[in-house]
Amino acid sequence: MILAQQLILGLLVGGLYGLAAAGLSLTFGVLRVLNVSHGELLMLGGYGTFWLFTLWQIDPFVSLLAVAPAMFVLGMVLYWALFQFVVKAHEETRIKNSLLIGFGLTLVLHALAIRLWTADERAVTTAYAGAVLRLGGLAVPWLRLSSLVFAFAILTALHLFLAKARWGRAIRATAEDWEAAALMGIPVGKTYLLAFALGTALAGIAGGLVSISYSISPSIGMEWTLKALIVIVLAGLGSLFGSFAGGIILGLAEAMSVVFLGGPYREVVGLILFLIVLVVRPQGLFGARG
Amino acid sequence: MLEIKNLQVAYGPLLALHRVDLIIRPGEMVAIVGPNGAGKSTLLKTISGVLAPRAGVIRWDDETISAASPQRIVEHGIALVPEGRRLFAAMTVRDNLELGAFTQRAQKEKRAQLDRVYALFPRLFERQGQLAGSLSGGEQQMLALGRALMALPRLLLLDEPSLGLAPKVVESILAILAELHRDGMSLLIVEQNVHAVLALVERAYILESGKIVGEGDGKTLLADDHIQAAYLGPLARGAV
Amino acid sequence: MKLLGAGIVLAAAFAALPLITMRSDLLNLGVQIFLAVVLAQSWNLLGGYAGQINLGHAAFFGLGALVTRTLWVGGTPLILALFPGALVAMLFGLLIGVPAFRLRGAYFAIGTLGLAEILRITIGNLLPQISTIPAAELTSYNIWPRYYLTLTMAMVSVGVVAWLVPSRLGLGIRAVREDEAAAEATGVSALRHKLLALALSTALAGLAGGAFAYYHVSYYPQHTFSPVWTFDAVLMSYIGGVGTVHGPVLGAIFYVILREVLAVKLVEFHLIIFGILFMLVVLFLPGGLVEAWSRVRQLVSRRT
Repeated sequence: MILAQQLILGLLVGGLYGLAAAGLSLTFGVLRVLNVSHGELLMLGGYGTFWLFTLWQIDPFVSLLAVAPAMFVLGMVLYWALFQFVVKAHEETRIKNSLLIGFGLTLVLHALAIRLWTADERAVTTAYAGAVLRLGGLAVPWLRLSSLVFAFAILTALHLFLAKARWGRAIRATAEDWEAAALMGIPVGKTYLLAFALGTALAGIAGGLVSISYSISPSIGMEWTLKALIVIVLAGLGSLFGSFAGGIILGLAEAMSVVFLGGPYREVVGLILFLIVLVVRPQGLFGARG
Repeated sequence: MLEIKNLQVAYGPLLALHRVDLIIRPGEMVAIVGPNGAGKSTLLKTISGVLAPRAGVIRWDDETISAASPQRIVEHGIALVPEGRRLFAAMTVRDNLELGAFTQRAQKEKRAQLDRVYALFPRLFERQGQLAGSLSGGEQQMLALGRALMALPRLLLLDEPSLGLAPKVVESILAILAELHRDGMSLLIVEQNVHAVLALVERAYILESGKIVGEGDGKTLLADDHIQAAYLGPLARGAV
Repeated sequence: MKLLGAGIVLAAAFAALPLITMRSDLLNLGVQIFLAVVLAQSWNLLGGYAGQINLGHAAFFGLGALVTRTLWVGGTPLILALFPGALVAMLFGLLIGVPAFRLRGAYFAIGTLGLAEILRITIGNLLPQISTIPAAELTSYNIWPRYYLTLTMAMVSVGVVAWLVPSRLGLGIRAVREDEAAAEATGVSALRHKLLALALSTALAGLAGGAFAYYHVSYYPQHTFSPVWTFDAVLMSYIGGVGTVHGPVLGAIFYVILREVLAVKLVEFHLIIFGILFMLVVLFLPGGLVEAWSRVRQLVSRRT
């Protein structure tokens, strides 16, 4: 019973892992830029939701309507100020510089968050926070279930955008072969900007959902960057739903470790799994490209 | 009308094109032939905006486009069918075609143009849901051509369209190019398979080591001794 | 040669400092600077010269600190406690490096990041209590041996890099950084050279950690695995001038002193400033202070 309960909770958080990874997967897949500050962006989204709720009592799910666009704009600013210079280089240098810039950004955003909001943990506690759905003997927190469904819906919407929309198709084409894309008349710079902003918005949404069902603090940034990296290495690049599935797998793996190894090693299991997959099969379990 | 004067293109310190002059009048079908490494692809890449010239001028309908981005070039009505096709292999036939119509101008006529392309290439219509990477060589060339047509070009640039294709397929591709030409499209074809293309075009330039060394109408050049020796001799015969 | 002269003068000045002043705050600042030099130089060896970005450098610093502290507090003489620390750090480095270096650069970076976090969390779970020097040692705590130990280490780290750079090994390492494929084609084994740079880098980091363990009276063991150490190493290397011998030294001095000055006012402020400075350097002035200085000299010499 404990195992089943933990697995449910693992499944529920896994959806958020997947959403976090999807944003990073998008920017890496399209721009070949590994933004290791992705977790900090998620953290910022979480604070956005938190403050909108704390200051103006805006329901957290509703606040995402404001947080997502705000994070989108932040993504545009970060691309314009930093990453547009990184993408000018060839792939090897590009990845290297993006690691450095991402690292620097992590430092700055983390320090900024501590300055602005202190290192204290925050959580959004709505009136309906404690509600639980009972399935057999298991308790499924409504809030987390809604977050999972929400995350899945967002990914579905993004998938449709990439599959059918003019700019979505342009993003996919640029990801595959940016020179050929340019020959179609696709403005590669603008496409990169769009992809990066979308990735950032996804991080922000994930952060908002995290603040609803869990707690946030400046230190969750690095934690979630690693989660996203673990999922990307597990699931490979190239598929949003692959990332989602990878996230669920990570969530379930963590749940099992909690049951068999105890709470304190929850994070470690994911990281060890990550290192193993990195060494043995770097293109991931479902991924096509490395 | 495409006018190129004194074009100089370099890769770092290496000059790939030295003072190239050429003209393509509206509705003309022109070929550029020459040996490997002559600079033919470089020329097309420069016209398409992928490369920037070091000196010289490219004018299209009295507008200078020498340093324009690939995006602007497509908007102006010049589309390139790249060497080796450069299809988006992981995307469907339909996606590839729709991507060809990315520009604002092409978007307006997308539906109609898609129908026209499918009419021209029924095989593409059959395979529209298939991944581009899974098509045969000939089908891929058709897709690359169709994709370029989706941009509603007035000048079509083709970089080695017969490369790697069986003779029958090359024939059908060239037939389609001839048809497009009859309908008023300007075409600039870069080819190593001189025999196939010279019979078809009105004019051709000979490019060797980055310089234009000859010009003439297709059939005359075909009969020319120099060409015969250099490109049509037993060792130089192409895929035919 | 001029650099060598300047370096010797600087080292001599630092060596003479404890003889001139009794001010413990200055001597402590000295130790901080020397530790920073070793930390920066160790990262620079792998990141600047071999071109391999290590985002988990703290792991090796922490391992050195852990092993040295455990041995030393347990009674082993310090000198004997330092080398196992460096060794363990090096072994862990190779453990990650051997599989990760076969893949693209990003994998090594995130692999080491993951490793550092695994160690930080595990050590945090296994050793949550603060580690304090036993009372006997505490009463006889003297800054002098720590000062000279870290100064020696700083000189050694600079010396190692200075020796490595023009050597055949160093040329091979740099060739691999510039163009791995080309290097392989000329018979330079990329993997071997990267691993060698990695071994030296992690060993030095382990030594730095050992010195930290000897210097600090009490700290939480997991703190030595915190990403801040990696941040510091990367920031100092880049701001000073990554890929040069003296860059990390300049960066360390600049960073530690400015940190002391700024930390008085606002707590996290210096990190924000350095972080932004770092990103600007990476994008627009990759040679850091070293490059800035040479450009200023060029400008001045053109005027005169």
